[in-house]
Amino acid sequence: MRTFKFMVITPDKILFDGDVEQIIVRTTEGDVGILAGHENYVANLPAGVLKITLAGGEVKYAAIAGGILKVSYEKTTRIITTASEWGEDIDVIWANRSKEDALNKIKQAKTASEMSRAELKLKRALNRIHVSSLQKH
Amino acid sequence: MASGNMKDIKRRIKSIESTMQITKAMQLVSSSKFRKAKEKADTAMPFFNAVYETMCEIASEDRFFNSAYVRGNDSDVTLMIVIAGDRGLAGGYNSNAIKLALSRMKETGGNHVVIPIGKKAVEFFLKHNYKILRSYENIGENMNIYKAMDIAELIIDSYNKHKSIGRVELIFTDYVSPIVQEARNISVIPLERISGEPSHSVTRYEPSAGAVFEELVPKYIAGLIYGAVVCSFASEQASRRNAMENASDNAEEMIDNLSLIYNRARQSAITQEITEIIGGAEAQE
Repeated sequence: MRTFKFMVITPDKILFDGDVEQIIVRTTEGDVGILAGHENYVANLPAGVLKITLAGGEVKYAAIAGGILKVSYEKTTRIITTASEWGEDIDVIWANRSKEDALNKIKQAKTASEMSRAELKLKRALNRIHVSSLQKH
Repeated sequence: MASGNMKDIKRRIKSIESTMQITKAMQLVSSSKFRKAKEKADTAMPFFNAVYETMCEIASEDRFFNSAYVRGNDSDVTLMIVIAGDRGLAGGYNSNAIKLALSRMKETGGNHVVIPIGKKAVEFFLKHNYKILRSYENIGENMNIYKAMDIAELIIDSYNKHKSIGRVELIFTDYVSPIVQEARNISVIPLERISGEPSHSVTRYEPSAGAVFEELVPKYIAGLIYGAVVCSFASEQASRRNAMENASDNAEEMIDNLSLIYNRARQSAITQEITEIIGGAEAQE
């Protein structure tokens, strides 16, 4: 299968940089799959799962904490996100703890912005728990 | 020379030696911290560049592009984000950043509010009664993107919702080389440099180019702040390492000079004693 260049960029590291056959990621408009030769395309990403099929056919999952996907016909396709982790690297105990923490914050939230921030935190935590379970199967 | 003088010199040498121990230790600490900070600053660059590039592309591809962040608003208040260190003894690091902030304030005119980052900046702007929007201390060393996002959110709310600020300027210290660190200013809002050179490539945006752009702006500002804080921290450590290296060198020189004086004094005291003894012996004969 044809491959294309793909990168996942976060502020503190470059999570992935290499050739892939396919990526599937959830955008604000729904799930999209990208193959080699895709037209130029940019979309917003909420917290969600990124599924990568590597050049050899191996499948990897990563958690994405929101950002944008930028597909470029000529250049490297990129995901720019504030945080990203491989499924196998996710610390489930820690993710559960931040889930509890977020639930507490939702209970105590007084203002709308506190509420929405706590909700985002909960979404990220749930997403990370979900992604870590995907990688095991 | 009297022995009292010698005692004084001995005491001074001891005191300089103990100062030198401190400066040497600080030099070692900051050079190890510097290495880590430099690495962090380097890894922040690709993220920021990618965000910035995408924003420029949107501005150039979308013919109807017209964002509130580029247009500006009517407020004459400039928000100054001033990044300095949490500790002193770093050469001119803190004062250079603050000096630049003050001179930029004079140049821009109008009213100002400040977000000082770092204890030294906070202390300065509090003491001189500047209007402070919010202050941040002790975040340089353990900076992460979420702290930067908080600050970015605050800025965007003040700019968009409350319209209480019209311009945002960022003062930080750029790391040029291990020896040169330069205080610099960047205009954050309005986004002036993002200009639309019309391009022919067609990109599909979801939900829309405008929506993607609005989503990117907070990330751009957060990335800018994150990068500036991390870069400034690396500069602070480099600057402290240099200052402490100079201090250690100076201490060594002073110790050398004082030991010379001390030895001369000792020598002349001995010579004098011998002459006295010989003189006494001759008088006996």
